[in-house]
Amino acid sequence: MREDTHDWRALAMAAKVKSQQEHVSRPTRKLATRNRAAARKRPTGRRDRNKQAIRNRIVKAALSLFQTKGFDGTTTKAIARKAGIAEGTVFNYFRTKEDIALYFFEQEVAHAVAAVRDNPRLRRAPLEEKLFSLVQNQLEYLAPYERFIGAALLHALKPTSALGPFSHRAMELRHRYLAFVEDLIDESIPKQKQNPLAFLAPEVFWIYYLGTLLYWLYDSSEGKQNTLAFLDRSLTIGVTLLRKGRR
Amino acid sequence: MPSDKNTSLRRALSIASLGADVAGSYLGYALQHAFLGETQRKAKLKSTHTRAARRMRDEMQSLRGAAMKLGQTLSLQTGTLPDETLAELAALQMRAPGMHPSLVRVQIKRSLGHEPEEIFKQFAPEPFAAASLGQVHHAVTHEGERVAVKVQYPGIRQAVANDFRLFRTLSKPAQASGHLTKLAIDEIEEQILAETDYWREAENIDFFRAHLGPLSFVKVPKVFSKYSSDKVLTMSLMRGQHLDDFLAHRPTQKTRNELGANLFDLFYFQVLKVESLHADPHWGNYLFNENGNISLVDFGCVKTLLPESAAYLRSVFLYPGSTHSTDFRRLLESYYRAVGRKLLRDTREALIRFADNFYRKVYPPDQDKDEPFDFGDNAFLEHYLKESKNLFKTKGVLPELIFMGRAEMGLYQTLHRLRARVHTSRIVRKYLKDAN
Repeated sequence: MREDTHDWRALAMAAKVKSQQEHVSRPTRKLATRNRAAARKRPTGRRDRNKQAIRNRIVKAALSLFQTKGFDGTTTKAIARKAGIAEGTVFNYFRTKEDIALYFFEQEVAHAVAAVRDNPRLRRAPLEEKLFSLVQNQLEYLAPYERFIGAALLHALKPTSALGPFSHRAMELRHRYLAFVEDLIDESIPKQKQNPLAFLAPEVFWIYYLGTLLYWLYDSSEGKQNTLAFLDRSLTIGVTLLRKGRR
Repeated sequence: MPSDKNTSLRRALSIASLGADVAGSYLGYALQHAFLGETQRKAKLKSTHTRAARRMRDEMQSLRGAAMKLGQTLSLQTGTLPDETLAELAALQMRAPGMHPSLVRVQIKRSLGHEPEEIFKQFAPEPFAAASLGQVHHAVTHEGERVAVKVQYPGIRQAVANDFRLFRTLSKPAQASGHLTKLAIDEIEEQILAETDYWREAENIDFFRAHLGPLSFVKVPKVFSKYSSDKVLTMSLMRGQHLDDFLAHRPTQKTRNELGANLFDLFYFQVLKVESLHADPHWGNYLFNENGNISLVDFGCVKTLLPESAAYLRSVFLYPGSTHSTDFRRLLESYYRAVGRKLLRDTREALIRFADNFYRKVYPPDQDKDEPFDFGDNAFLEHYLKESKNLFKTKGVLPELIFMGRAEMGLYQTLHRLRARVHTSRIVRKYLKDAN
């Protein structure tokens, strides 16, 4: 096990050197011209962007393989080949394929949170609409990778999995997500008007979210119309329960 | 499929609680029964009915699925419910839960492929009206035309199918007793499912736009197919007021008479000439104008009559001879035979009684007596309900005529609320003459 880790590190180091060489040798011309001024001010900007571009390429390749070959059936080697980079480069960015998946989920949450946060139309919307929009944006982001999401959910059940609820990074992601949900609740319903058990709401919401994900995965209705109806109705009930003095 | 189960279960629970509640209410009556005298008992029975009806309507409105339409249709048709209940239920519309702007946006984007703001020059995020199975939004097209965009609540088709699966089970006793035939349930389900397809509604609108042309006082919207799908229907915005608003402005008797006559004309033009009927009598589907114009706005429920039915109706309306004659009896019998049913003696008697006690009074066949019929009179509705119930009790009503009966009932109720005086026979005669 320890030796394994050493191997990983050595590989990763080697890959890092190689990938840096690659970065230098392959700058995209268009990008370079467009951002020349900015690059002059921030010398690291272009490198960061290049790194981000490669990271995105790896994730895109990995997702496409997860979707077609399945999560377990996909190797890092295949990911590297699909992304058109050396296998070592992949390790430079992600230690394991679980990390790639986790990175994807982080992006997904960031996207959905931003979509709700930055939408001026939602600023004065009721809580149920904000929560609807949050989950809806998540599902829309996940939709192209439906098969993979199902596999990832199963994979997350393994106690040692990086995707599982006990991995540090997954926990962090969940906290970030639920903190946002809590913010949404607090800005819509003042604390004194919340049901005494409302402090549990974010945790309950997490379970609800996982349930919705399962419902969505198995929703065979045309255009997944049932999931929309389910989301709408259940959130209306849920938000009613959150308020004090209501049924 | 977890999705199906979940929705079914919730509806089952809701319907079960509805049953418990109505039972509770009737149980209350039964308990009090022993302690009340005869007159009090009667009054109490009435109030129990009304309360039960209101409770039922509220429950159904919270269910807001097809159960509503089902309740509405059955209430008019089974004749097992008391009059008070019928009156309450007739006000129902097939409403869906309200949608917030985000949900509307998702529905439009999924259906038409773009955000509402990209499709239209302007789009009102809040609805201005509830429609069958969805809600209606104001919008302006890029060409500058003001339109109404009807958006369907998600998953409604499945919900309707679930309701019917459940209803078929729950209504087994009524089916076994013959009060509700399988054919009748099929007819209702087919009509309601048809309403969930907005494309079909668009076709209906085009059909009626073409066929109602001769009636200059009827306005039918124009469909914008470019901005429509099976779940989104865009049509030109219609002018007029709903019945309640219209009546609130205290229209003159002359205006009410004119509108009443136009409504009546519209109904018989459809039945006797077009042989297809805008069959959802809900008041929300008609918009009234001071100048007597009527705008039709919802074409989800359209009943196309069999040629046999249209021919039958033409032959029995304003029948000149005695309703007890052999000839009249033959007319009834041959119609039933033509649609593959045997006319039972009880049903025949009930039909004749219906003709005598209702149709002959409201539609006097005698040409010399050309007095308008006053629909403001309470008695005529009572007669209609009484005879309908009698007829349904004989279990011989044709499923084919369920929706037409419902539309007719709706027509009478609207005319009653308008307190209109209408030359009923003159209008019917006009279309009978044309046909012959």
